[in-house]
Amino acid sequence: MKEISLTIDGNKVRGHEGDTVLDVCRENGIDVPTLCEMKGLTNVGACRMCVVDIEGERRINPSCTYPARDGLVVHTKTEKIEKYRRLILELMFTEKNHYCMYCEKSGDCELQSMGYRYQMDNVRYPYTSPATKVDSLSEYMAVDHGRCILCGRCVRVCGEIEANHTLDFAKRGFNTVVSADLAQSLGASSCTQCGACLQACPTGAIFSKLSMYKVKPSECQEVKTVCPICGVGCELRVLVKDNNMVMIEAPQLTSDKGPLCRMGRFGLLADGHKRITSPMIRDKEGKLKECTLDEAVEAAGSRMKKLGKNFTGVVSSRLPSETLSVFCQFMKQAVGSKSVDTMGGEAFRVIAEGTKAFNKKSEGPEIACSIEEILKADCILLVGADPLKTHPIVASLIRRAVDRNKARLIVIDPQNDVMSIWRYQWLKPRAGSGAILLNGLMNVILAKGLVKGKEAPAKLTQSLSEYNPKRVQSDTDVDAADLEMAAETFGKAKHAVIVYGQGVWHTRNSALVTDLLNLADLTGNRDGDRLRIVSLKPAANSRGAWNLGAAAKDLSQAHVQGMYLLISDEQVDSDEVLGWLRTIDFLVVQASYRSAVTSMADVVIPSPIWAERDGGQYTSLDGHVAKSYRVIEPKKVLLQDQEILRELSKKMGHELSSDQEVSCGQT
Amino acid sequence: MAKPKIATAWLAGCAGCHMSFLDIDEKILDVVKLVEITASPITDFKHFEQVDVGIVEGTVNTTKDEEVLRDLRAHCKILMAWGDCACFGGIVAMRNQFDKADCLRRGYIETESTVHGKIPSSDEIPKLLDKAKPANHVVKVDCFVPGCPPDASHIYYALVELLNGRIPVLPANMMRFD
Repeated sequence: MKEISLTIDGNKVRGHEGDTVLDVCRENGIDVPTLCEMKGLTNVGACRMCVVDIEGERRINPSCTYPARDGLVVHTKTEKIEKYRRLILELMFTEKNHYCMYCEKSGDCELQSMGYRYQMDNVRYPYTSPATKVDSLSEYMAVDHGRCILCGRCVRVCGEIEANHTLDFAKRGFNTVVSADLAQSLGASSCTQCGACLQACPTGAIFSKLSMYKVKPSECQEVKTVCPICGVGCELRVLVKDNNMVMIEAPQLTSDKGPLCRMGRFGLLADGHKRITSPMIRDKEGKLKECTLDEAVEAAGSRMKKLGKNFTGVVSSRLPSETLSVFCQFMKQAVGSKSVDTMGGEAFRVIAEGTKAFNKKSEGPEIACSIEEILKADCILLVGADPLKTHPIVASLIRRAVDRNKARLIVIDPQNDVMSIWRYQWLKPRAGSGAILLNGLMNVILAKGLVKGKEAPAKLTQSLSEYNPKRVQSDTDVDAADLEMAAETFGKAKHAVIVYGQGVWHTRNSALVTDLLNLADLTGNRDGDRLRIVSLKPAANSRGAWNLGAAAKDLSQAHVQGMYLLISDEQVDSDEVLGWLRTIDFLVVQASYRSAVTSMADVVIPSPIWAERDGGQYTSLDGHVAKSYRVIEPKKVLLQDQEILRELSKKMGHELSSDQEVSCGQT
Repeated sequence: MAKPKIATAWLAGCAGCHMSFLDIDEKILDVVKLVEITASPITDFKHFEQVDVGIVEGTVNTTKDEEVLRDLRAHCKILMAWGDCACFGGIVAMRNQFDKADCLRRGYIETESTVHGKIPSSDEIPKLLDKAKPANHVVKVDCFVPGCPPDASHIYYALVELLNGRIPVLPANMMRFD
């Protein structure tokens, strides 16, 4: 970029072509007050606090929208400019209803600090005192329109980053108001509850119901960690005061994974479940009774030893790899079990088998691209996944691609109309016919000569020949014309990304994964050996668990006599899993919360929740490794998960080594 | 030289600013050594004598508030506003979002604890103004100490500035709106 030279406040400074005057000021450490500006969002010049005097201009101009150019002479701190800034501020205070004394944001409010900075000890203009509304019907957020300065940060972050366009301005002039959809309550609107607007709001207009009136963020300590929920691997900034979590924020709101989602920002704080505070064992009458850890360890240990290889272990893949490794070591070495699985292990088996069939070689690493590839996409094929429910940041990335790149979203789902207002096409195959549809897509791509890169393998071409659109239509109920349109859209795309999820592995049909890999390969959607394909794995450390081999065997098909279930703070609510657990004779559950699972256990051992856990390693769904940190001291927990396992192991006569990473694969 | 005279008035508000003034603790002895406090909410004089500094706390909410404020302004050389109510309208001004008649009905008739409520209408009683206003929207105010309430040390700072012959302007680090 070409360098340019400006004079600001009498000093020669340098900037770059394309910078605004504000950019140049910031780059050179010149302080200019702003309210509506936010890094990563489009500048709109709404608040006018950043006005500057530019020689040659007839009037003062907002520096955030004024393009810097060579030779510009700018004054940022003249008496005239400061007078105007105070005037603008006074008008802002008279426009709506600002009462700091009972505002949640007081002490942490950008408008208030600006008032202090400009020593605004009185207001010369009449107050308009409009009859503003408070909207408190959203689950986690409340909006007090009286505190809104119409800076539009929420509107921009909702549109440009979360890309959901729920918020926008309604009405005009003095009556302008931030509105959710067509004047809906936020709770009844299309809001995804990502909370980006809340973090972007400079005043107390949007505030968190979970954090309000607790403590000022400036009085909190900050702990950065990785989100333990879905596997996207968002970084969280947790604000902590006196060992209590006050608020969760995004360290970089406008970055790719910036907005966070309702689960990470709010769900982790809104913990209404009952904690398990003491170990419990089932007494002779069949009731769970509280006991000491020694008694629980004794009861579990003797029985496990007896069952030995007929005893299995299932572990939550929301736990860090260190804990998973100790669990595997414990199950293999102390208990003598043959098999360990993770919650959602079926996903691994489907992906691994499908990848193996594609590679035709030994099991290599999973073929996947980074989820940020979605941002570059001009076509996205979403197969059997509902990212808004399971991986909301992926949904946000898809919306951004649709928004910015005019990417075409093709959804394949037998039941749900996923992301309906964002999609270009919904292919709705009959249940169980997904593989035929995918082969049909490839058939059309071959027929239309849309194969890119190397030539299609003869064997594949041959096997696809029978999947002509007519046959596909009769077997899948997907209209032949729709199929051809989708194939053409996908085939002609320059940067297509395939995203697939639970719908694929719930079928337990690994051929679907092979087909998707073939589809990406045929159309040349690859960067080196990475095909542009992403699987939305079930939990934060699924990939880490699978790397340890902790999901190699499907246990639900075999009769299991005894099980050690380490679920920690993960919730198990699938009827299928609960029904299966009921058939198990002896069940040890290590969990944070009381649940249907703990109520059927023979021995229950308390486990720390995510924030209380010792730090560890998480591997995101696209293979990035991040470290988690302990956020608060454990409150109702006796020991960390791995310490409990060590205790148990010792009781069973086996000392677990502390630094050995053990693979969980079958022996 | 005679001690400078001070008078303070309490309009619509919670008296928190006067409480905060008393919170300057033993320093009040220094203040009393240097100034003479004439009318104040404690003395309950109905009219002000001529003073050097008038101090007003509270919002101009009723006809009486307005009368008291104009009286004080007429009898002082310098008028200082204490607290968010006098400086900005404060919590009392929240009623401006609503219709005056609605406010009176809600306050005197619809309150949960009220049986057979009645909106006072005697000529003896001050009338609610259409809008609650900060002091400087009614008379000229010379200096301001915002805060809800202002910190005792900020009130003390402003008084010392005045005694030293300067019109106080709170520095940014003393500004408080809450």
